[in-house]
Amino acid sequence: MILNLSLFLLLPLVGMATIFMIPAEKSALIRKIACLTVFVVSLLSVWFFSAYNSAVGGYQFIQNIPWVVPFNISYHLGIDGISSMLILLLGITSFAAVLISGGIKERVKEYYIMFLIAVAGTYGAFLSLDIFFFYFFHEIAAIPIFLMIGIWGTGRKEYAAMKLTLYLVAGAALALIGLICLYFATGLQTFDLVQIQSHLANHPIPTEIQNWIFPLIVVGFGITLTLWPFHTWAPVGYAEAPTAVSMLHAGVLKKMGAYAIIRFAIQLMPEAAHTWMPIIAVLAVVNIVFCGLVALTQRDLKYILAYSSCSHMGYILLGLACFNIIGLNGVVYLMFAHGIMATLAFALVGFIADQTKTRNIDELGGLVKIMPFVGTCFIMAALASAGVPGFANFVAEIMVLLGAWDQYPIQTVLAILGIVITAIYMLKAIRIGFQGPLPKRWEKLTDAETLTAKLPFVFLLAVLIVVGCWPSLLLNHIGSSTKPIIENIVSKN
Amino acid sequence: MLPVIAWNLISLEILITLTLVSLVILDILLPKGTKNDWLGFASFTALLGLIVFWTTQQSVTGITFSGMFVSDSLSWFFKGFFLITMIFIFVMTQQFFKFLGERRNEFYLLLWLSLLGMCLIASSADFLLLFISIEILTISLYVMTAYLRSDKLSIEAGMKYLILGALSSGFFLYGISFLYGITHSTRFAAIQMFTATHSISPLMLFAMVLIFAAVGFKIVAVPFHMWVPDVYQGAPTPVTALLSVGSKAAGFIILIRLFFGIFGPWHAEWSILLAVLSAITMCYGNLVAMFQTNIKRLLGYSSISHAGYLLMGAAAGSMIGASAMNFYLLGYLFTNLAAFLVIILFSIAVKSDDIADYAGLARRSGILAGTLLIALISLAGLPPLAGFFGKFALLMAIIESGFIWLALIAGINIVISLYYYLMIVKKIYVDTPNSTSLIAVSLPMRLILILSMLAIIGIGICQGPFLDAAIASVKGMYLLHF
Repeated sequence: MILNLSLFLLLPLVGMATIFMIPAEKSALIRKIACLTVFVVSLLSVWFFSAYNSAVGGYQFIQNIPWVVPFNISYHLGIDGISSMLILLLGITSFAAVLISGGIKERVKEYYIMFLIAVAGTYGAFLSLDIFFFYFFHEIAAIPIFLMIGIWGTGRKEYAAMKLTLYLVAGAALALIGLICLYFATGLQTFDLVQIQSHLANHPIPTEIQNWIFPLIVVGFGITLTLWPFHTWAPVGYAEAPTAVSMLHAGVLKKMGAYAIIRFAIQLMPEAAHTWMPIIAVLAVVNIVFCGLVALTQRDLKYILAYSSCSHMGYILLGLACFNIIGLNGVVYLMFAHGIMATLAFALVGFIADQTKTRNIDELGGLVKIMPFVGTCFIMAALASAGVPGFANFVAEIMVLLGAWDQYPIQTVLAILGIVITAIYMLKAIRIGFQGPLPKRWEKLTDAETLTAKLPFVFLLAVLIVVGCWPSLLLNHIGSSTKPIIENIVSKN
Repeated sequence: MLPVIAWNLISLEILITLTLVSLVILDILLPKGTKNDWLGFASFTALLGLIVFWTTQQSVTGITFSGMFVSDSLSWFFKGFFLITMIFIFVMTQQFFKFLGERRNEFYLLLWLSLLGMCLIASSADFLLLFISIEILTISLYVMTAYLRSDKLSIEAGMKYLILGALSSGFFLYGISFLYGITHSTRFAAIQMFTATHSISPLMLFAMVLIFAAVGFKIVAVPFHMWVPDVYQGAPTPVTALLSVGSKAAGFIILIRLFFGIFGPWHAEWSILLAVLSAITMCYGNLVAMFQTNIKRLLGYSSISHAGYLLMGAAAGSMIGASAMNFYLLGYLFTNLAAFLVIILFSIAVKSDDIADYAGLARRSGILAGTLLIALISLAGLPPLAGFFGKFALLMAIIESGFIWLALIAGINIVISLYYYLMIVKKIYVDTPNSTSLIAVSLPMRLILILSMLAIIGIGICQGPFLDAAIASVKGMYLLHF
């Protein structure tokens, strides 16, 4: 077959090399090439998503090349239901992010090179079936993100960039130690996920060893997933980052944490999951309620969205702790739904802030009057975030809550309270920032008028509604991969 | 009857000596006031020739001079390492000493002498030969450190290095004398026979600590690091580069020969000691590096922290540990030398080593900024660069040996070091430049910078062949003992 998964890495590399050759002055051409590259790769992700056969399940489109033989590291790519959905999410998000990057006028060449590195690295992480290469690709994005926030960010951008990078690398280092321990603990001395899985089916890791490797991996990757109390990098990071980075990071990159927890912690160490995940479920509720309450007090639109994003990660963590199919399906579904919603919301705030130069809701007001299209989109994104039926988030959250109800009734009630809190801060932001009288200074603002300006917003909103009304579009894929994981866990109880 | 000497085993050292002698003659014959850098040109050509010769020598192994001199896979690996290091150092010298005129010629001779010393260290199988080789290297380094005789800092650096270096030589000799007293030999093979059949005694431990003090001086492990910041800052930058790569690697060969060879049987006794030392060294280097304002001084402290990381491999005391050290050093060679080359080119243009003056370098010279970015990120240990896989392999080794606490400390240190490396990256890429004048980089220099960048990325992505080479270098080691 001509189409293989390596294209996800090769095409951005080709795009990057092309941009590298072009003189920096030709910024329009550079932007075109970057958009084209991302577009082609996104089409590829759609193709692979639809070509994945969920009736068969398992890993498909496998490529396996031995890479570092002494350590048994192999360049092993493949997708299952979960990762096929995640590359679709990345395809959609990165396409929207590259479209709205037109506002970048300074050092355009460097910007798009960084952008492509970050996107390629993230694709690589989702495609890898080798633990080493997962880590390898997942860390590649760190430096481009640091530089993008530092160079093109706003406000306290240097502080934000440094804090975000250090937190994420600290988490990654912790997780790496856990992963290497796992390498030796299996007794197989290989990083190949498929081999480890089939080996562990008959030779599980002793429970007492699992019990101390598990927290290393879950806390390490939990930092990426803004696990409370390690979430503090996210608000300032997302708020000061350029719009495209906020979209990519809140939309997709932080989901690498959840993906890694499912893949390496829960799937490979089910016994330890039974010990540790109830504790994570408590932290998850703190995430939901605490970050939600903090979002209530924020006046900066991007801070509200960022805390909201931290708060929603609580549902993912809660769902991970349920060990039933509906809960885990909800988690994976929420990764997608929240990814699209966050991407949309950050894109809209970026659009507004580009013109107003402020994101403080007290200084805004009545924006729906002057920019009806963007304002309406934002209201819809806010409603989606609050879990209104019809949007994908509703489907996901209801599944997580149903899954959690049996084991964690108190946590579930608090999580439902979290939905109310979300509704309060979102509606508050809309009332103060978007409704009411329009201050005189904003009368010159313009709405998204051209088709190209509207396209990313319409596109994301359409995905949110389509997926919200037609869950089986994703659920077939998701279900084919979550079922064996849950069966494995339940059998180990 | 005289013992039979296998001359082919020491052919590389003989060739280096011959080159050195012919360069001395060339220096005498050259008319006074020659503008062209003939010696530099001749050195560079000879070095390329030697590298070609070196590639043919892999299979030439054996022991000669009654067991004093060994040529094995480890010495072959490190001799190649030193030859490649020297290529960089010669290029740096050629750039850095443009203003020195004829005095530069003697500098080349000293560099050749230090190369001879390093190659002999790689091949020593006897403590006396080892001592003499170390002195050949160190004495040429003393002279080179103080070479800028009108520069106070350079003189001070030379003085400090001399005093502390002499002290460490004293320790070394004192240690050897104890060792001889206990084992009745200075040959590595004889000492290993002793260690394999006896358990460790307090006197022996004392001798080992004394010898380690001298090695620690070379690899800059805490508490033998005192000379590093001032010497790194004051020495001419090519010498700093040589100290941070060549001299450090020479120390690590000794470490490998000692702890994976002759003291191998006592692994259980010293591994915990090395582990503690490794933790202290990396923490100290990284914590102090955070507050530096001079880039050479910063790389000095960072060099201490890298010695700490590398000691993890020694503490692991396993096959993976030793190979990981060699792999790490290989990546460190290109990474650190690329960084120092940028520092030299920058200091020639701007006349400063202050980190503050690096502000906005990305807008003044894309290639210098790009190389420094890649070098610093590789030093910090993020993929897809050479430094990442080196740290990864060291972590593998240390976790395999059960030092999880050390792995966690190393993890914390990676984050601390990332902070100060990123501060420089921020200066280069984010801050606004103090001056908008562009920094021109000549074509040959561009080529070398690009090649070293490719090497850093190449080792980081295609780790396999390099790891294989590192493993092979350990596997065929003389007196290997795990």
